[in-house]
Amino acid sequence: MTDSIQTTKNLQKPIKGRSLWIDAIGRLRKRKLAMICFGIILFYVFIACYVQVAEWTGSSWPTNWDESTGQKYESPNAQNIFGTDIFGYSILRKVLYGTKISLQVAFFASILSILIGVPMGAAAGYFGGFIDDVIVWIYSTLSSIPYILLILAFALVLKDKTPFGFKLAGATTVYLAIGLTSWVGICRLIRGEILKRKESEYVLAARAMGCSGGRIIFKHLLPNTFHIVIITFSLRFMSFIHAEVILSFLGLGEKDKPSWGAMIDSARLDLPKGYWWEMTAATLAILIISLALNIFGDALRDCLDPKLRTD
Amino acid sequence: MTDTHHTLLSIRNLSTHFYTEQGLVKAVQDVSFDIPAGRTLAVVGESGCGKSVTALSVMRLIPWPPGKIVAGQILFEGEPLLDASENRMREIRGNDIAMIFQEPMTSLNPVFTVGNQIVEAVKLHQKKSGDEARAIAVEVMRKVGIADPQRRVDEYPHQMSGGMRQRVMIAMALCCDPKLLIADEPTTALDVTIQAQILELLRDLQKKRNMSIMLITHDLGVVAENADDVVVMYASRIAETATAQQLFEKPLHPYTKGLLKSLPRLGEKKERLDVIGGNVPSPLNFPAGCKFHPRCPIGCNDKRCQTDEPPLKEMVAGHCVACWYAGQDIEKSKDALKHNE
Repeated sequence: MTDSIQTTKNLQKPIKGRSLWIDAIGRLRKRKLAMICFGIILFYVFIACYVQVAEWTGSSWPTNWDESTGQKYESPNAQNIFGTDIFGYSILRKVLYGTKISLQVAFFASILSILIGVPMGAAAGYFGGFIDDVIVWIYSTLSSIPYILLILAFALVLKDKTPFGFKLAGATTVYLAIGLTSWVGICRLIRGEILKRKESEYVLAARAMGCSGGRIIFKHLLPNTFHIVIITFSLRFMSFIHAEVILSFLGLGEKDKPSWGAMIDSARLDLPKGYWWEMTAATLAILIISLALNIFGDALRDCLDPKLRTD
Repeated sequence: MTDTHHTLLSIRNLSTHFYTEQGLVKAVQDVSFDIPAGRTLAVVGESGCGKSVTALSVMRLIPWPPGKIVAGQILFEGEPLLDASENRMREIRGNDIAMIFQEPMTSLNPVFTVGNQIVEAVKLHQKKSGDEARAIAVEVMRKVGIADPQRRVDEYPHQMSGGMRQRVMIAMALCCDPKLLIADEPTTALDVTIQAQILELLRDLQKKRNMSIMLITHDLGVVAENADDVVVMYASRIAETATAQQLFEKPLHPYTKGLLKSLPRLGEKKERLDVIGGNVPSPLNFPAGCKFHPRCPIGCNDKRCQTDEPPLKEMVAGHCVACWYAGQDIEKSKDALKHNE
């Protein structure tokens, strides 16, 4: 008797729907290396947020990077663990501050490129015909120009302009330039995916139910391509960090504040004199986040893309 | 067939063509039939004979390019659907005419729970709050025979079996009380016991709601059990229309005769089943004259069959057939032909 009551109780327990996302996160958590990399990324994000908050609240450390903490060119020691530069500034503080700029640039550039690329790709894939031709023409033209030159051109044009009363300077110019030029990849991916999926039966079923075109794109198709957006986001994030470094190195980025690119640029002249620590600190910071993003992005793709799923 | 007063859907001289790179495909030509309210009409035919295209034409879901409805008229409760605006069509789709598809495995969006998908269908056509819509979803899931709908409503499609998913598809189609349900081979992808359950379910729901069903199938067993009226299509055209009883008792078109002959019968001892010789013609290159003549026992020798398209003639009340030799004994006609030579 009690047994049968037990069973019915058991039956009434809700079945928890396992979405593809929960599935993917479960698989991701089993990968140790990916989780370590995720931890490293979170650590970088934490530093960036900390610096930003410190800047807003007017707290001194580490935003006071332009205070001498010792002699010029001090090699790494207990007080300045990464040493000091030509002005006696702490390189640790400069690297921390550079983290904020790099992540800020990469984050906003990614958001911008997704905001442009995803709707364009979706429209091109879904509507086809003339709209598709125009969008494909635009991105083919953009992608035929060498990437760095294109960013340089955009950065130069946008620099010190004041559209809508908002002055573009420093990091803002950089992420606008990167974001406006680098949506091509994601646009192409989304277009292909939508082209493939719009023929599927559930789209036909949605149309037979009376859904409009926009509703099908945003409610039915885009959620099905979202894993691609996430994967691209994590992989492109790294290349945007690199782009920021390159732009700063070429003198188009942040001028008055230390970014990793600017640090490499100034350390370039110190290196022959044997002062290796500024260069090392900046490149190490870039290397670690790049590696972490790359490994994590790969793991994410393995877990989210059903076709690459191995386990 | 029946007087226009009770006719829910009326298709007149429908022609749908596809302009493909290989050439013009006349997928549906000059198809006319009526679906009376509260009855089931079965459209039977081989793969590629235009059954599904007819259904999609009714819904105005033929993708352009490459497909286009080039001629004809579709009247739904007297309203000409081919002249309706896209907005009006969106109101009709799902609300007045609903459709279920052949592949339950892929007809549900994998990233949403089944409940969400039914709720969406409800909300598209009725002003309902989230809770009300959810209550309707649970209710309609119970009606289509899903056990424990309270729990099942939060499951994802991949957690369900094929039969369950087809029930969910039917629930989605029925949640707005459509007047006409187009079922495009609803049981082809399911195993036989589930097939019987789903068809039983459709019959039940039809009785309760006085809904019309357009049942597209190639399974004559399904037709015999479910349909009131039958339209037999062959190579883009109607070969024969009749009530189910007339068709099974006295088929008139040689194609229908061949189809019925090729069915296995209980208690019959036969080494091999009868077949209709030859192949279905390619839609890119239909034969001239009667489309069936190369495979027809008399048509292959008859000049008229090879050059002239036979019109659809009413032989008995409610029984039409497109054949020059309709109503004549095929064996006799064959002999007569031989005699003439």
